[in-house]
Amino acid sequence: MPRRFRWTVPYLFLVPGGLWLLAFFVVPMVVMASVSLQQGSLAQGYAMTFNFGIYAETIARWSSQFLRSIEYAVIVTVLTVLIGYPMAYTIAFRGGRAKNILLLLVILPFFTSFIIRTLSWKLLLADNGIVLGTLKEWGLLDSGFRLIATPIAVISGLTYNFLPFMVLPLYVALEKVDPRLIEAANDLYASRVQGFLRVTLPLSLPGLFAGSLLTFIPAVGDFVNAQILGSPDTTMIGNVIERLFLSNNDYPQAAALGFILMAAILAMVLVYARLIGSDKLTTG
Amino acid sequence: MPDDPRQPDAIDAAIQRAFEPRRRLSRRAFITQAGRGGVILGGALSLPAILAACGIAPAGSRTPSGSTGGSPTPLPTKAGIVNFANWPAYIDIDSKTKTYPTLEKFKKETGIQVNYVEAVNDNEEFFGTVQPDLAAGNQTVWDLMVLTDWMIERMVRLGYLAPLDHAALPNFTANADALYVNPWYDKGNTFSAAWQSGITGIGYNPKLTKRPITTFDDLLDPAFRGRVGMFSEMRDTMCMALLSLGIKPENATVDDVKKAADKLKKARQAKQFRNFYGNDYYNELANGNLALTIAWSGDVSQMRLADNPDVQFVVPQSGGMRWVDNMCIPKAPKHPTDAHAMINFWYDPVNAKTLSEYIGYFSPVKGVPDLIRKDAAAAAAKGDKATAGALTTKAAAVTPSPEALKNVYTYKVLSEAEERQWNDLFQAVVTG
Repeated sequence: MPRRFRWTVPYLFLVPGGLWLLAFFVVPMVVMASVSLQQGSLAQGYAMTFNFGIYAETIARWSSQFLRSIEYAVIVTVLTVLIGYPMAYTIAFRGGRAKNILLLLVILPFFTSFIIRTLSWKLLLADNGIVLGTLKEWGLLDSGFRLIATPIAVISGLTYNFLPFMVLPLYVALEKVDPRLIEAANDLYASRVQGFLRVTLPLSLPGLFAGSLLTFIPAVGDFVNAQILGSPDTTMIGNVIERLFLSNNDYPQAAALGFILMAAILAMVLVYARLIGSDKLTTG
Repeated sequence: MPDDPRQPDAIDAAIQRAFEPRRRLSRRAFITQAGRGGVILGGALSLPAILAACGIAPAGSRTPSGSTGGSPTPLPTKAGIVNFANWPAYIDIDSKTKTYPTLEKFKKETGIQVNYVEAVNDNEEFFGTVQPDLAAGNQTVWDLMVLTDWMIERMVRLGYLAPLDHAALPNFTANADALYVNPWYDKGNTFSAAWQSGITGIGYNPKLTKRPITTFDDLLDPAFRGRVGMFSEMRDTMCMALLSLGIKPENATVDDVKKAADKLKKARQAKQFRNFYGNDYYNELANGNLALTIAWSGDVSQMRLADNPDVQFVVPQSGGMRWVDNMCIPKAPKHPTDAHAMINFWYDPVNAKTLSEYIGYFSPVKGVPDLIRKDAAAAAAKGDKATAGALTTKAAAVTPSPEALKNVYTYKVLSEAEERQWNDLFQAVVTG
C-alpha cells in the first residue's frame, strides 16, 4: 500500500465491525424508534403519528417495575462483587498450578443453557422438593416456607447466572497486578489491609468496572429469572416488555419501554464512570 | 386503510410502500432544505422520513383470500415431513421409549416423518412468535399448529391461515362429530379441524387444600395464600373471574371486565397467587407447589394417571369455559400435503381412540367411546380388571355429558379495541 494511504489502515480495520453494527444494531434501533412512535393495531396496521406522548405514559405506567429492576440489578451487582472479588483474588494470586482448572470451573456453567440451569433450580428448590421438602420433614422449616416465587429466588438466580461475568474481568485485572508493588507497599510499612486498599484495589478498578457493567446491564433487562423463579410481585421490566411484545402485541409501548430502559442504563453507567473516575479506568 | 384490496401481490405493495417515504419532498423543497442546512441528510434522508418509512402494514384483509371462495390451491406432491406445533401433554407417548406410537404408525402408513414439537405453551405467546413472519408473508417453520378457537377466529380474520382442501380430508367428512362441524369461530371448517376439546375449570390437590373445592372464589380463599395458580392467558382467567361475578363472558362489557380485573388485582396484591402460568402449571400442580389452580380438564385426568393420583378436577359452581383446540395450517406452508395427511389421519376413529385413551379430553371423532368400550371388554376378557375399569371411565369421559355442558360457556368474540382494553386491564393484574 502506498505510504500516503497508510493512514486509512486503522479505519479499514473498523469496517467489518462497523458494518456489522450498522446492520444489526443501528438499523434495528431505527426501526424500533419508529415503531415506538407509531399508533394503530394489528389488523389496521401501524402508522407513524410521532406520538411522543407514549414515552411519558409508559414511564408513568411501569415505574414500579422499572424501579424494581434497578433495585434487583444493584443488589445483584453488589452480591457478585462480594462473592466474585475474593474468588478472582484467590485465583489470581494463590491459584498456582490450579489456575487454569479454576478458571475453567468458573466458565463451566456456560457449557449448558442457562435456561436449563435456572429450571433445575426450580426443581431443586420446589416447595416440597429435595431440599425444602427434606428440611420440612425434619421440622427445621415451617411447612408454608418457600423460596421459589420470592424476590430472594429471583435475586439469587440472577446472581448465580451473572457471577462469571464479574469474576472473569476481575481476574484479568488482578492477574496483571505486579506482586512486587504490594511487596513495595509492605516494605514501606503499609499493613496488609492498607496495601490492598492503596495498591491492589485501585489497580483492579478497570476489572471491577467492566464486571459491574457486564452484570448490571443484562441483569436490569433480564426476564428469564423473574419468569421462572419469580411471582407476579417480582415482575421486572424485561417481563413487561416481553409480555407487551409477545402477548399483547402492543409493539409501540414495548419499543418505547426498550428505549427508556436503554437511556436509563446509559445515564446510570455515565454516573458510575464519573464516580470511579475515568482516568483510573484507562490508565489502569 | 379500510378499502385496501388484499390481493396476493399485496405484500409487494406493502414492501413498496415501506420504501416510499410518506412525506416526500418536492425537488424544490429538497434543494431549499439542503441549501439551508447544507447537509444532504436534512432532506430526503431526514430522520422523520426514515422513521415514517418504517410503518407496519396491516396484518390482513377483512375478507381473507380463500375464505369466501373456499377454493384452495391444488396440493403439491407429498414432501415426506410435517412440522407439527402442539401443546405439552397433548398426545400419546410411550414413557419407556420416549416415542409417540401413533406418530410412528402414521410414518409407517404414509412414509411421512413428523417433527412433533411441544411448542405451544400459551396461545398469545405462540402467536407472538409466528406473527411477524405471517404478517410479512414469510413461511413459518410450522406446517400444522394446534390453537384454541378464539385464536383461530383471530388468525382467520387476519388472513394468516391457509384454507383446508376438504377433498384431501375424507375422514373428517365421514367421522367429525356434529358438535365440531361448522363451529362459530370458523364457519364451514374452512381453515380448521378440531384436535380436542375440553373445559377450563379448577384443578386441586385435596391433600393440600384439606377441603373440597367447589367454586371460583375458593381460589381467592386467604387460607391458600401463595399456593394458587392463575393462567397467563387473559381469556381463561378473565372469563372465569367474570363468571364468578355472575356475568356471562359472551355478554361482558368493559365495565364488567373492570370489575373482574379489580377482584383479581386485590387478590394478587394480597399475594394470593403464586404465579400466572401457561401450560407449565401442570408440573407445579403435580409436584405440590400449587394446591389449587385454574386448570384444563384433560391435563388433570392425565395427571391422575401419570403424575399425581390425588389431583381432582372440578367445574366451579360459578361456571367453567368450554373450548376447542384446532389443527390449522399457516399461510404459505412448506408441506401442505403432508399436513393434510396428518389431519386426515387423526380423524380415523382408531387413531382418535388411541389418542383419547391416553389424554382424556373430549374427542371430536364419532365412535371413539364405543371403540374404547371394546378395548375395555377385551381387557376384561383377558382378566385385566384395572385396565378395563380405567378404560370404561375414559369411554364415558371423552364426550361431554349434558350436565357438564350445562355450566360451561364460550369466549366472547372481541373486536380489536375490546381486546386491547381487556388486555390492558389484565396486564395490570398480572404485573405487580
